Amino acid sequence: MTKMTIPLGPQHPALKEPVNFSLVLEGEQITGSTVNLGYNHRGIEKAAESRTYLQDIYLLERVCGICSHSHTTCYLTCVEEIAKAEVPERAKAIRTIVAELERIHSHLLWLGIAGYEMGFETLFMYSWRDREQVLDCLELVSGNRVHYAMNTIGGVRRDITPEQKTEILRRVSILEERTKYYIKLGTEEATVLARTQNVGLLPHDVAMNLGTIGPTGRASGIKCDVRKHEPYLLYGKLDFKEITHDTNDVFGRLVVRVLELVESYKIIRQVLNYLPDGPIAVKVPAKIGPGEATNRYEAPRGEDIHYVKANGTDKPERVKVRAPTMANYVAVPYMLNSGYLADAPMTIAAIDPCMSCTDRAMVYDTKKNKVRIYGWDDLRKLGIEHYKKRGVDFSKL
Amino acid sequence: MKIKDKLILWSRLKSPWLLHFNSGACNGCDIEVVDALTPRYDLERFGVVLKSTPRHADILVISGPVTRQQVKRLKRIYDQMPAPKFVMAVGACACSGGVFDGCYSVVSGVDKVLPVSIYIPGCPARPEAILDGAVKLLGALEASSK
Amino acid sequence: MSEFEKEEKLKAQLEDKFGGAISDMIIQRKDRVWFEIKAEQLVELMNFMKTGMGFNRVSTITGVDEGEKLGAFYHLTDENGIVTVRAKTPRTDPHLPTITGVFPGAEPYERELADMFGIKIDGLKPGRRYPLPDDFPTDQYPLRKDWKVGDAYPEEKTSPATEAK
Repeated sequence: MTKMTIPLGPQHPALKEPVNFSLVLEGEQITGSTVNLGYNHRGIEKAAESRTYLQDIYLLERVCGICSHSHTTCYLTCVEEIAKAEVPERAKAIRTIVAELERIHSHLLWLGIAGYEMGFETLFMYSWRDREQVLDCLELVSGNRVHYAMNTIGGVRRDITPEQKTEILRRVSILEERTKYYIKLGTEEATVLARTQNVGLLPHDVAMNLGTIGPTGRASGIKCDVRKHEPYLLYGKLDFKEITHDTNDVFGRLVVRVLELVESYKIIRQVLNYLPDGPIAVKVPAKIGPGEATNRYEAPRGEDIHYVKANGTDKPERVKVRAPTMANYVAVPYMLNSGYLADAPMTIAAIDPCMSCTDRAMVYDTKKNKVRIYGWDDLRKLGIEHYKKRGVDFSKL
Repeated sequence: MKIKDKLILWSRLKSPWLLHFNSGACNGCDIEVVDALTPRYDLERFGVVLKSTPRHADILVISGPVTRQQVKRLKRIYDQMPAPKFVMAVGACACSGGVFDGCYSVVSGVDKVLPVSIYIPGCPARPEAILDGAVKLLGALEASSK
Repeated sequence: MSEFEKEEKLKAQLEDKFGGAISDMIIQRKDRVWFEIKAEQLVELMNFMKTGMGFNRVSTITGVDEGEKLGAFYHLTDENGIVTVRAKTPRTDPHLPTITGVFPGAEPYERELADMFGIKIDGLKPGRRYPLPDDFPTDQYPLRKDWKVGDAYPEEKTSPATEAK
């Protein structure tokens, strides 16, 4: 059996940032892998030190387009803690609503990408069409579909009017109906099950050891939802469940995300009905500190942790951001090992990497001294063909 | 113009194939580019297809301020595209560096690395703007070929 | 301060085991404990916090440039909050032991400390640098306060835009 090493580098047809995985293959099975990052390094932490706290909000928003509200809210929780500012209840409620809308949009996005990776393109089109409902809500409330910029130091910038509230509730009802279809699809459809069950296995103890978080960790039975363990914003007062599953595979991650959608709808309804009166922001002086704080936040991909150190001027001394995918990608080599090459795209997509990029997989056959180039798309097609031969065909759905 | 050339030009203008490349973006523009394929905006009814290899593409759609790690790779991909080829810089970061202008790990703006045919500003650029940009590019090509 | 019962218990356990090696322990608020440990006892402390106190992960390691010393703050998290362990090392010869033997997930954060601050992590297995690009000079550390943007590439060499066809 020839051993081949392939690099899965950075350039992907369907979004995501650049990442490089180096896979060692024996035949079709992956026996080893390493992860190389750094293609997306932009020097944000250094830039944050030379901008004011307010300007940093807009910088940190653009750490990631899919979870931009998570990063700003987490950062501002630290800054407000150092400045000893009490954020008003109404502002917390509005932040919670936008946070949950973001979670919904992110999970629907993931569902579409997972469908696309499986070969189930109709699911991709359906879920992204439904995602437009959420983007409309966000645009209604904030003015933009991505990068909502709702936050400011001490609260939020815009209020939610009663008309907007009715509109959001109407759209959430539409989405609830559609989610029932996705739950049925995810749990009962044989072709989806064939592609997701026992793929990308990550046992509970390994996941604990590697520090896996977010839906990836929860699918391996780890209770790690920051909203439950260290409630921030209004989560301490709300009624919702922490979703965990015990199958340790991609199927578990799918189920966790779809059920989290249902919990998010519940949360939005509760907060919209509770929306208290009052101001939407408090005034915070430009010079903050000295002091330091760390805080965490449950972003759609997992625990997001920030550290801010203030030194009494209007610019921070140090801002540290650790996005959730950094903790999860360490588990990917384990998940890929002893799996098939055909399952690699699905496994990698299942951690919902907020960085993507696969360039080209180069297969070097040591015996024949030949090099073959696979693109991510080729690998994806390989996976679909591999399963078609075994009777998993999405074109009949 | 010979019939053969007219036919080739017509097919190029009526059905441009895109290659999307993320050169260190935050994903905002990327999801809007992919969004343009989804049922609400549906690029495919205009003949636009998102391809995955540079060898098949007419237009290179780039998002993100080009990070230094990506400069070599970006140039390589551009070289692999067959002529005539065009570059579309999507989003404020690709146009001029956006929020990241001045950061040490970023070469602000695609035009410092490649010749850009059309700039689409926005943070992120809306799918309608991306579509509009593509149509304007084609219009300019058609006009210049006469 | 009986409202910080859990934090007080944590404090007592640690001081009991490590005594003089721990300094500057503060309970900032609910769920937040900060203290400093001598760099030599870092791995032993991490081991104790994992096996004896149930902390399952190091969420991140923040490097901080404090002038004479370079600090690394290890943020350990569990269901009960964040405990931050500070380890300081002199700027002239920064060294810290690796904790990947205890927390394998901490590898990327340690690489970041090495790349961005120049802190040598003893015992870390060799690997590709992260997060800086391959052509970044190896003796420059961006997150140190004395490094300015522009130090790395003094003659900006980017190809001029050629005529678009």
